[in-house]
Amino acid sequence: MNCTRRNFLIGGSTTLFLSGYFPKISFASMQKKNLIIISLRGGMDGLTAIPVIGDKSLKKLRKKLILEDVLNLNSDFGLHPKLEIFHKLWERNQGAFVHATNIPYTGRSHFDGQNLMETGAHIPYKEKTGWLGRGLLASNIIGKGLAISLPMPLLLRGVPQNNNFFPSPDFVETKLIDQIYNEFKGEHNELIKSTLDTIKKRPFSMQIATDSDDRKKLALEAAKQLKEQSGPRVAVFDLDGFDTHAAQGGVDGAHADELEEINKIVTILYENLGQAFDNTLILTLTEFGRTIKQNGGYGTEHGYGSAILMAGGLLKKSQVYTDWPGLKKKELFEGRDLNSTIDSRAVYNSAMSVCFNQDPEFLRKEVFWGDQLPDLSQELFKI
Amino acid sequence: MSLKFYRRVAFGLSPNEKEDKDPLNWALSQLNSIPDLLWPGSIPSEKDLRKKYGEWVYGDREVLRKKYKNDKNAYKRAKDELRIKTGERYFELNEHAIRHYQTKYSNQPVFERFWLFWGNHFAISEKDFLAEFSTGPYQREIIRPNMVKTFEDMVLSVTTSWCMIHHLDNSESFGPNSKKGMEWRETINENHARELLELHTVSPNAGYTQEDVIQLAYIMTGWSHKWSRKNLETGDVWFDQEMHQKGDKVVLGVKYKNDAKRELAKVIHDLATHPICIKFVSTKLCRHFITDEPTEEMISPVIEAWNKSNGSLAEIHKAVITQAYKHNETTHKFHPPEIWLMQLSRMFDLNTPLSAKKMEYVFKSRPTNKQRQLSWILREIGNSPYRAKQPNGWSDFEVDWVSPELLLRRFWFASIELPMLVKSGNKSHDFIITCLKNNFEDYENMASLIHQFRFGTSDKDLGRKYGVICNLPGVLKV
Repeated sequence: MNCTRRNFLIGGSTTLFLSGYFPKISFASMQKKNLIIISLRGGMDGLTAIPVIGDKSLKKLRKKLILEDVLNLNSDFGLHPKLEIFHKLWERNQGAFVHATNIPYTGRSHFDGQNLMETGAHIPYKEKTGWLGRGLLASNIIGKGLAISLPMPLLLRGVPQNNNFFPSPDFVETKLIDQIYNEFKGEHNELIKSTLDTIKKRPFSMQIATDSDDRKKLALEAAKQLKEQSGPRVAVFDLDGFDTHAAQGGVDGAHADELEEINKIVTILYENLGQAFDNTLILTLTEFGRTIKQNGGYGTEHGYGSAILMAGGLLKKSQVYTDWPGLKKKELFEGRDLNSTIDSRAVYNSAMSVCFNQDPEFLRKEVFWGDQLPDLSQELFKI
Repeated sequence: MSLKFYRRVAFGLSPNEKEDKDPLNWALSQLNSIPDLLWPGSIPSEKDLRKKYGEWVYGDREVLRKKYKNDKNAYKRAKDELRIKTGERYFELNEHAIRHYQTKYSNQPVFERFWLFWGNHFAISEKDFLAEFSTGPYQREIIRPNMVKTFEDMVLSVTTSWCMIHHLDNSESFGPNSKKGMEWRETINENHARELLELHTVSPNAGYTQEDVIQLAYIMTGWSHKWSRKNLETGDVWFDQEMHQKGDKVVLGVKYKNDAKRELAKVIHDLATHPICIKFVSTKLCRHFITDEPTEEMISPVIEAWNKSNGSLAEIHKAVITQAYKHNETTHKFHPPEIWLMQLSRMFDLNTPLSAKKMEYVFKSRPTNKQRQLSWILREIGNSPYRAKQPNGWSDFEVDWVSPELLLRRFWFASIELPMLVKSGNKSHDFIITCLKNNFEDYENMASLIHQFRFGTSDKDLGRKYGVICNLPGVLKV
């Protein structure tokens, strides 16, 4: 284990507080930039996705969960073999990770944690809108959100006219809509009518029935839409099943299966966004990480610090960005979890500022109530 | 009086029901008693289902996880077998059938609408295996019997029910100065206290502070499930003195003397009769039946009835219905997908839920597709009733139900699934017209929109007709 606690942040955020924000107006910023969030529900284990290499504490506490083969990132960190697309992207400076990070929530309830990862707030259920929705609204980007789910996710709430894609099991004849469209009269029918307009304007490919359980097809369609200059600028995917209390496994366990799902989505986005991938950021979002120690069922319990997986051409470079807290007992959060040394909301705020061409200070105030979130744009992203 | 009143406060009129001469009286007279559950099939008790819950979690957590710790595939297989044996995949389907049978056939449909309302006000959201085993019986055995008592009775029953205590983690809440709290260095879990204030009673309008939440959590410490090695967390609820925070507590400025288990009833009395609670819940009731943004004019008579009757739910319900009647012509209310489905089922006498005979289950194989059909439809239209994502339940605001895909799912159901639920004797065009006439003043306009398909009775033709009819503004909304 070479990786001890270091201050990676020196010279980074601290100076940025002084430097202010100077948006660059260039041809590049005219290009539409996409921000894609993949929600990982259940608590993604950052130490399975991005294991520290050669850490004695980890080896001791996770005898049955240690990965035999990891993809090499750097001298300190490896990558789970099921996340191979990230490795490929890492090699071209289009894959990176933030480690030992989480939303500022330590309660270990999925329930509250998932609410907070979406609202970005401190008290569960207090806020009724999501940080992404508020960020879009503050940036005056309306009608550009695309959710790959049936209900509008909380994360996107707060900005009107979002679209979603999660087709019914069979083809619906949209000419049915034409037959009744004119029946929607009066102010009280406005909302439905404008939503019918959104449906009618959808490209044909979004009208076709598909198996919404098939995440590949959904991702393919999302890529197609995001690629369009006039298409959505934000997409939200939802994955669950990260709550691996049992048989979590190493290279092939239950957690690996879930990581493979992320890999599939990112691969499809990468392969199908084409040039647009250069103007895209893909970030994962989870409610918490998992305990260091394996439990009696060779799984892990709810923890605290996790990792953010990042992909896309808007990344500054391949790196594991972290202020590594260490895994010795006294370095753990409450003696059991990887600590979180970076408020993950700082990463999301910075990502929004890059993708929405917006001052991060402004967003921090509008979206996160002015919480102390350092601007990480220069460290993590191309600006 | 327009026919939409029957959909505003109930589920519309079935083909053999006729408009009442006095619709207001028709509705008000339904609220004094609790109608029996009509479902002819099995209606297992909450306690029996909790036992099944226990078998399932014990079997999975204590047996299978240990046995198959090295083999995730064998673990998955064994877990699937356990699902079948304990009915983990079945009971929720049966509960949906009980629920939808009731809304379809009840002679007191207005009462049933309030049943749905309260089940959602005191929502059990999707957590652990509550939807699979417990939310259905909780709504039958905790919510329903309280609907002719007072609001305060209802809050007390709900707060001490196993389902809510498990849902909001009160069994994990220890008074830090209690015997167990000190021994195990445990402290409170504020979840349940916060939701009791925020969602169930006074709402944030009461201006409570974090300290109020903590103090209420102290009062609630000790109300927990009995834990045992075999039943794990599925034991009965009791008051564990050894978890209870000692000393006086102060909530919203009121002092509660150290009085062990009796503290809870006292604070619930004060919360449930708090003027801000009364206003909050009255507003929610008006929102559910009248319009998303009810006015003072609608809400005050409900508050008045509440105060006059000391919180009698029957009287409160009557006041809500009276206001719904009064504002029937001038307001609009959007129906969430499940209520829309219930109305279609009643108005067009659809072949759902499945017969009780066919819903029988022998715990030997997965439930059949037919048995899963209703629950599948509910999920596909986005409104699986026991699976709200958050403890505030399903939204009552139109804006939360109008996304492109959620609207398309209604077109999908009406044009593709619904035709397969039309009874063989009801395929004629005349049948549709009769049902429309029974429920809509402007049935002629509606009929004209499907006139071009009048000769068709195939599923495809029926799909074209119902696809149009069921998604008209006057059907999505009243």
